[in-house]
Amino acid sequence: MKSLSKANLSQFLETMNSKVRVYVPVEQDGVSRFAPWSQDCQLVLDRNTINPPKRLFFPQTEELYEYQVDKQDASVKSLAVKPEPFVVFGMRPCDVQSLKLLDDVFLTKGYEDIYYKQKREQGIVISLGCPEPEETCFCDSWGVNPARAPLADIMMIESEDKYLLEAQTEAGEKLLADLSGQLTDQSGELPEGKPCSLKVKNEGLMEHLQPKFEDPVWAEICRKCINCGTCTYLCPTCYCFDILNRTRGKQGVKYRCYDSCMYPEYTLMAGGHNPRPTKKERVRQRFLHKLQYIPERYQELGCVGCGRCIKKCPVNLDITRVINQLWEVE
Amino acid sequence: MCNCNGSHNDNPLLPVVGKIIKIVEETPDVKTFHVTSENGKPFTPMPGQLGMVSIVDVGEAMFSVTTQGPEHLEFAIKRVGTLTDVLHEAEVGQSIGVRGPYGNGFPIDLFKGKDVLFIGGGIGLAPVRSMINYCIENRDDFGKLTIIYGARSPEDLCFKDDLFENWPKVRDTEVHVTVDKGDDNWKGNVGFVPAFLEQINPSPENTIALTCGPPIMIKFVLQSLAKMNFQPEQIVTTLEMRMKCGIGKCGRCNIGSKFVCLDGPVFTLAELNQMPNEY
Repeated sequence: MKSLSKANLSQFLETMNSKVRVYVPVEQDGVSRFAPWSQDCQLVLDRNTINPPKRLFFPQTEELYEYQVDKQDASVKSLAVKPEPFVVFGMRPCDVQSLKLLDDVFLTKGYEDIYYKQKREQGIVISLGCPEPEETCFCDSWGVNPARAPLADIMMIESEDKYLLEAQTEAGEKLLADLSGQLTDQSGELPEGKPCSLKVKNEGLMEHLQPKFEDPVWAEICRKCINCGTCTYLCPTCYCFDILNRTRGKQGVKYRCYDSCMYPEYTLMAGGHNPRPTKKERVRQRFLHKLQYIPERYQELGCVGCGRCIKKCPVNLDITRVINQLWEVE
Repeated sequence: MCNCNGSHNDNPLLPVVGKIIKIVEETPDVKTFHVTSENGKPFTPMPGQLGMVSIVDVGEAMFSVTTQGPEHLEFAIKRVGTLTDVLHEAEVGQSIGVRGPYGNGFPIDLFKGKDVLFIGGGIGLAPVRSMINYCIENRDDFGKLTIIYGARSPEDLCFKDDLFENWPKVRDTEVHVTVDKGDDNWKGNVGFVPAFLEQINPSPENTIALTCGPPIMIKFVLQSLAKMNFQPEQIVTTLEMRMKCGIGKCGRCNIGSKFVCLDGPVFTLAELNQMPNEY
């Protein structure tokens, strides 16, 4: 294990950034998000970011290929580019866990998404454990330890006037070795954090929900939802996307961008049929996708308990209360 | 820029750019497009599998491959939206993006050695046709073929050459055609597909029924099949959903935990009965 004096954090990031591009949690224009490190950035290390770091692996908009057309002729060229290695510094254990699910979606079931894969392979994750979860955090109800991220390359935890760092992968060890001039050897083990105060009952939830598709409770749950889609954009495990064209004259780009199951157009077919025509079907889809469908398909939970949707939902549709409400249904 | 002659297995979202080599006008709003690429057939699908078709600067949509030749794929496409409007205006020589094949296709082993009852309505005959032609090409592997097909009017019947010329000539094959509303020249049956099916009354014994058509037709066809004692395991259908990626990533075509693009589009009624009713 290594330790880093808090006073040296800026120097540590600067040194690391001189070797590989480093993304850090910052406050920008009133929103916290991951952005490239710079000396004058406003680091946010006392709480998780509102914008999840999934954007570094699965950007909000991403160009897939370019095309040229000329009368009847057309040609295409892939825009998939393997990035230089990069470091994500300060990713919380809940968000690191979300990468597991994004890996399942983008890299399994017969097809690999090259755009995601190239970034995932090049990203080195330094996770920052949470000594004291926020009041909207409930990751430990889903089996995530707020102070540990087993999938991270390096686990880091604050301890008084320093950070303790432990490499968990070969890439992590190499990075710490490269930065050894900034670090001090430290004996002992990484400290544990405090448990979350917000709790939900997890065990058996998938099985409990399986026969509830037609239950009238969904009409109640959906009532206050305004289908704004905020929850899906901020969710670290939501991965749905649309594929669109941007054409100018004879050339253009095919790109993808985040989409949301909250919108009627999401499932609307040419010809007018919509299998999820009202907000009841759409809200049901969102919760069952997280809590039943993803567990059935990938043997993983689709929620990591980060609490962003609880914090930012404009009508306070709280997933933990929804889960409690669903547990009450016989 | 490449013309994507090779396969793009490393990037499944990138289409092969081929060309339309023939267009058949089936009905006033359905055309069949024959598509090939510089390297021949863009891919070789099994019956019931799908292809993502695009006019590259307009958009992409998923269609069943209605049949194939040694060098080309055929897509029968109804004019219903933005992309299909542009496709219907296209002429032979137009470049077309294609990627696939996607989906599970029809469960051939389930059909082998059995009589097959095909029930199609409107453009729903397009995916069914891929299986009909497969059965004809491998005629000894299947028992009696019964094809029941209906459309709104005589001019709305798709694949007229197959219905009235090619398929009736095939050994041990019956073709029954109906229209919702006839015209002065129509000598055949007038009536809806479910009632027509009950009138023909095929036996469920050692038979697999394959149906595809508008949702309302499927609903009543399933009721009719149940009346005739077909079991859910003997009934196969193929579903449609909005799709963007075709490879189980973009999210929108799920029914419960199944993705229609990967786990479907073909399901038995027994499978559908286990899934949420949301399609």
